[in-house]
Amino acid sequence: MSKIINSGGDEADFTKPLYAPIKRRSFFMYAGATAGATALILSGCSDDEDTVTAPGTVSLGSGDIGVLNYAYALEQLEAAFYAQVIATPYTGITTDERAALTAISKHEAIHRDFFKAAIPTNQAIPGLNPDFSKINFTDRTQVLTAAKTFEDLGVAAYNGAGQLIQNGTYLLLAGKIVSVEARHAAYIRDLLTPGSFAGNDVVNTSGLDQALSVSAVLTAAQPYIKEKINGDNVGK
Amino acid sequence: MNILKLLADLVAVDPDSYERLSGRRGALTSLGQTGRRAVAAAVPLAFGAVLTKAYGRKSSTILDAFTLALTLEYLESDFYSRALSSSLAFPGTTKAVIEQIAKHEQDHVAFLQATLRASGVEVPAKPTFDFTGSKNGTRTPLFPTVFQDFGTFLKVAQLLEDTGVRAYKGQVDALITDNDLLDAALRIHAVEARHAAHIRGMRRALGANVRPWISTKDESITTAGVTDAVYAGEEAARQLLPDLVNYFPKATSLVVTGTREQATISLGEAFDEPMTAPTATSIAGLFLV
Repeated sequence: MSKIINSGGDEADFTKPLYAPIKRRSFFMYAGATAGATALILSGCSDDEDTVTAPGTVSLGSGDIGVLNYAYALEQLEAAFYAQVIATPYTGITTDERAALTAISKHEAIHRDFFKAAIPTNQAIPGLNPDFSKINFTDRTQVLTAAKTFEDLGVAAYNGAGQLIQNGTYLLLAGKIVSVEARHAAYIRDLLTPGSFAGNDVVNTSGLDQALSVSAVLTAAQPYIKEKINGDNVGK
Repeated sequence: MNILKLLADLVAVDPDSYERLSGRRGALTSLGQTGRRAVAAAVPLAFGAVLTKAYGRKSSTILDAFTLALTLEYLESDFYSRALSSSLAFPGTTKAVIEQIAKHEQDHVAFLQATLRASGVEVPAKPTFDFTGSKNGTRTPLFPTVFQDFGTFLKVAQLLEDTGVRAYKGQVDALITDNDLLDAALRIHAVEARHAAHIRGMRRALGANVRPWISTKDESITTAGVTDAVYAGEEAARQLLPDLVNYFPKATSLVVTGTREQATISLGEAFDEPMTAPTATSIAGLFLV
């Protein structure tokens, strides 16, 4: 297991979205729109496909920093996913859906960049490479089903991670994000099946939303991330 | 709650407590993470006394947080159950949805009542509410048609759900020492957010300019000096970083597409902000008789 040290820190790196090499062109179109023309040029110059190394293992670290990296990993995944959704909208997307999914993609990019800014540079995990090869982005049901998976997983991850956090500032920050994820989850679920925003599959008989352990969340997320994520010490 | 840490803290505050509790230590440690409810049930008097002595303000803060939560759940639960038993016409399939939300709120009431009861606290009775906001006709109603007009009903529902989300968030720090209660509060908090998003979607379906998340682009449904506290501060477009010195983002232009104005909107949407207990209490007070 190798702990990859992030050597980044300049603004171009800060704003550079996670991208899937197979969809490089569309992701950089999004990057340009997201980060501005300057960042696009810098990203294009400083990053070369040939330098992409074989995916290894990424350790999330321990204690509260581990929890932040855990959230950062999940937000990277969500941000990359919605960037792709917006870059290659599914067949039959409505104006309203496109507007909402664009808004969600911005929220997730903000969450990702927020964690990157919140975690000390020498302790932050690097940018991860997503693997969305199983998702047909032209198919509405597949895209929204994947979105539902990511959003419900994010909510359950934050709910489960709350008690791992020792620092009250971190806890409140996580709380500020988790309810926005729950709003996303409700919206996406209603798009798939109207009225399923808080279905019995995610809310138990005591009226409580799901809370999942780090290992359960990473098991569910791992198929969508090329690097092997090790969260064994998160919150410890 | 980490029982071992709690015991260590107790010894620090009250060296005799460990001696007094040592006979029960096996029972306490074996309970592990099952938490204060179980512990309180197991050794209510001895443990409760030293808990109060050691944690003093903190444990009362936790109970205050749950008492506030119960008040808000009483409010929401009563709101939906009275709507469902009123003559309000629910279009299409909306009645089933409101019934489901009402069920969740009832579950939350029952959960919080049980939690408070297990903590040896007298459970506050459900207050009497007037959802028109007229305080039983003693002042001009805020929402005179709340159970006659579906649009008004949804507006009040949105105000209550968004208040719930913000109020729970305002209490998480108070609960940080008690893992079980924090877990419950976070999980209820997320359900309230799902409700809020759906209610907002129902309003949008009726033509309102509103999104599943709280946005400065939403049309206002609040009145200055009366209900505007529900969203006051929610538009925050930057976040204090954990170093408590720097803010995110350093500049709005670094993070989001488009104009500075659009970036500010997205930044405000991306984070739900907490609400203080006094603010939440005063919003609930609008509907108290």
